Amino acid sequence: MSNNFVYVTYIYTTPKKVWDAITKPEFARRYWVHYNVSDWKVGSRWEHQNGDDSGKIMIDGTVLESAPPRRLVMTWTRPDHSKEPSRVTFDIADDDVLPGLVRLTVTHDQLEHDPAMASSISGGWPKVLSNLKTLLETGKSENIWLIKKQEG
Amino acid sequence: MMAKLTTEPTIYVIYIATTPEKCWAALTESEFSKQYFFGQLIEGDWREGGRIRYRMADGSEHIEGEILSYEPPRLLRFTWRIVSMPALRHLPDSIVSYRIEDAGEGVVRLTMMEEHPEGIDERLLGGGRSGWPAILSGLKSLLETGAAPKIAPPTLPQAMIDYMKEHGA
Repeated sequence: MSNNFVYVTYIYTTPKKVWDAITKPEFARRYWVHYNVSDWKVGSRWEHQNGDDSGKIMIDGTVLESAPPRRLVMTWTRPDHSKEPSRVTFDIADDDVLPGLVRLTVTHDQLEHDPAMASSISGGWPKVLSNLKTLLETGKSENIWLIKKQEG
Repeated sequence: MMAKLTTEPTIYVIYIATTPEKCWAALTESEFSKQYFFGQLIEGDWREGGRIRYRMADGSEHIEGEILSYEPPRLLRFTWRIVSMPALRHLPDSIVSYRIEDAGEGVVRLTMMEEHPEGIDERLLGGGRSGWPAILSGLKSLLETGAAPKIAPPTLPQAMIDYMKEHGA
């Protein structure tokens, strides 16, 4: 049985909006709470920063591939570098049939060295990506449990 | 070629801004299912031991099974037999469950699990793994926006097509 985590979600939106939601802090903080900071060039560092604006780095890594608005690949590293990095790939595709529908596939792999991280991300991605779909389809970010929990 | 059998389940978790009752209705009533389940109509004799079916829009049966757990609005668990495709009719029953949990104010967590207790050819797992995200994405859109995008069934994975050719499709 593989450690790889794959999550597919269909979102009624554009590839550009999905790309921006992943890469722009002001967008990401509305559904992910924390947000991602980088210039998103291949070889650049990226940081997953705490949404409380403390500047605390939750996760960091290196951008491996960057092809806006279709594909983003990066390493996913604990900030203390206590474990080998894993890898996250975002594939943003148009649905084969329905115009205006985006199929987003998030693949988190190379987790063999960090079972605790594998467990954590398999619970986390469905929350993050459910929130992303809600925000892009309804424009709402209130009444989403993750944000309420953060504020409460 | 020896078939490689697997009992590995497929699990899909999705968070939806709705109530458990509305999520349950969307899962079990055909006027909702036809909007997000590739046009299919769910029907059931809603009790443990009762029959459950998904019919195509033309009325023909696609899925047929027996209800194992019926606990509205929290858990529906049933056997799953694909009767519309001759190459898949011989398969042992799979089990599908929908579990609805509270996940904060106004939000539920829906967990779909597709189990294969007797083992199936691993090439068949791709069918559910491509289909469930499309179905449950549509369900979430329907409950949150009032409309589901008309998502078409994803193209069957090549490995599954190969299997069906070997089994008389």
